[in-house]
Amino acid sequence: MNIGERLRIARKAIGYTLEKASQESGIGKSSLSNFENNEREPKFSQLSQLANVYRRTVEFFLTDEPFIEEVMLWRSKPNSEEEKKRTEAEFAQLCEQYRNLEVLTGEVRKAKLPEPDVDKPEEFTFERAESFARKVQNQFCLGDIPSASIKQVLEERYYVKIFHLAFSGSAISTFSPEYGYAVLLNIDKTTKQWRRNFDLAHELFHLLTWNIFATCRSQSTQPTENEEKFANAFASQLLMPDDTLRDRIDLRKNGQGQIELDHLDDIAREFGVSLDALVYRMANLFRIQKQDTEKCLDAAKKLVKFHKNRESENQEILPERYCDLALRALREGKLSTMQFAKYMGTSYKKAQEYLMENDGFMDETISISVA
Amino acid sequence: MVLWMKRFPFLLLDAGPIIKLFQLGIWEEFITKCDVTISRTVAEEAKYASLEFKDICINLDVYEEQNLVKIIDVELSNVKAFHEKFDQQYNISIHAGEKETLAFLYNSSDDWLVCSADHVVYRVLGLLGRSEQGISLEEILKQIGFSRELELIYTKKFREENTRIGQIHSIQNKGLL
Repeated sequence: MNIGERLRIARKAIGYTLEKASQESGIGKSSLSNFENNEREPKFSQLSQLANVYRRTVEFFLTDEPFIEEVMLWRSKPNSEEEKKRTEAEFAQLCEQYRNLEVLTGEVRKAKLPEPDVDKPEEFTFERAESFARKVQNQFCLGDIPSASIKQVLEERYYVKIFHLAFSGSAISTFSPEYGYAVLLNIDKTTKQWRRNFDLAHELFHLLTWNIFATCRSQSTQPTENEEKFANAFASQLLMPDDTLRDRIDLRKNGQGQIELDHLDDIAREFGVSLDALVYRMANLFRIQKQDTEKCLDAAKKLVKFHKNRESENQEILPERYCDLALRALREGKLSTMQFAKYMGTSYKKAQEYLMENDGFMDETISISVA
Repeated sequence: MVLWMKRFPFLLLDAGPIIKLFQLGIWEEFITKCDVTISRTVAEEAKYASLEFKDICINLDVYEEQNLVKIIDVELSNVKAFHEKFDQQYNISIHAGEKETLAFLYNSSDDWLVCSADHVVYRVLGLLGRSEQGISLEEILKQIGFSRELELIYTKKFREENTRIGQIHSIQNKGLL
């Protein structure tokens, strides 16, 4: 594939018209059109500028490899197509940078994620989604409170790339043979930690069943309705294991077998899920009547208005492993100061200061004998 | 009549040394003593990076207009051909500005010298058997009478160490395709 085609793909992927690309890059619209139609070759500096505007690496345009479209599944999309594309482009760039850091530090690692016992989408049922969640719970050793460790396990043991950005809409999951598995979670002010926990578990279902449902998706960004329902059932079961949930409820129910909403709220907080999610889960587990469930959900809505964000809800955009790999690549001289600043979303000045502070530590390899 | 000869008639600067020279407050004098050439991408990078500093503002176009420095544009096909020489690790490591600068140096028959504060630039020179075309900021300043105590990344030691790493990679058959 030639540079012109790649320029067009990159521009369209971020949702820019020629006018917008021209405004952002300072390169004339007719020049951009000429580049895309292979009527004229851009100067390297122009290509570099466009790579920045389109959130791609220069290498993306220099390769002759065939282009593979990134498939991104949204849990709920932003209303504006522009924001959707911009978020996708930003997420793809972060994934690419993460992959680059892995390559630079020789830390490209693959771990096999658990697979469901079904091969075709039509074989999936709610029961199978739930039993698959139990299998994952066991394999991941998530313990009584899965929300407390699931992110760490996915990032550190299965090398799933998990980023956080502020955008309107919910989470995104993606898989590419080049970058592996990745999830983008929302950190805008209105998104609570329990929502992110549920989003992550929900997106995990998409990652684990990526190939199974790939054939029946009408659009590359839209999971099917059934797929979404199964993902919710899976997430609910994964985050609230049967035995632990029953145990917590037994502890708090009164002599008449009733449990107060405030106590349910305590349990939801402990599991790191929303009160709504807990109520739905209980309705399923204890076969609660629809009418009673709805009454409880109404009351829950009023109660959650009093909730405040907790301190622990602050999330960094970049995963810890990503940051550590970037620091290692910088220290080993595999990442320039300019690149380091870009990868870490910081200024050149700060990157330079970091280098100066660690002047004596460059290129040193320290190891401990364990023989 | 005494003709004032500039030192380093073929000197390519990377963004790191440019920013450092501005920080040291000796840029203006530096360009009167050296014939400085900068790739367009490096000039843009230096401009962008300087936005974060309160005390310096780097707009090299102004110096180009007054013929005090030369800013060069390199043909994409030349950079692409240069890019295709390296393996994935090296290609990720070489930043856009460095790629343009090194591609220019590689394709020129003149004896260009490149000054950088990034490891990979000197490693590439070592790898390509062009070790003599690297020079540190410390070495330049010393030769033009501006000796300064500089951080490691601007020193001769840093250049030599990284050039050696590139040479070792060359012997080990690493880095090049």
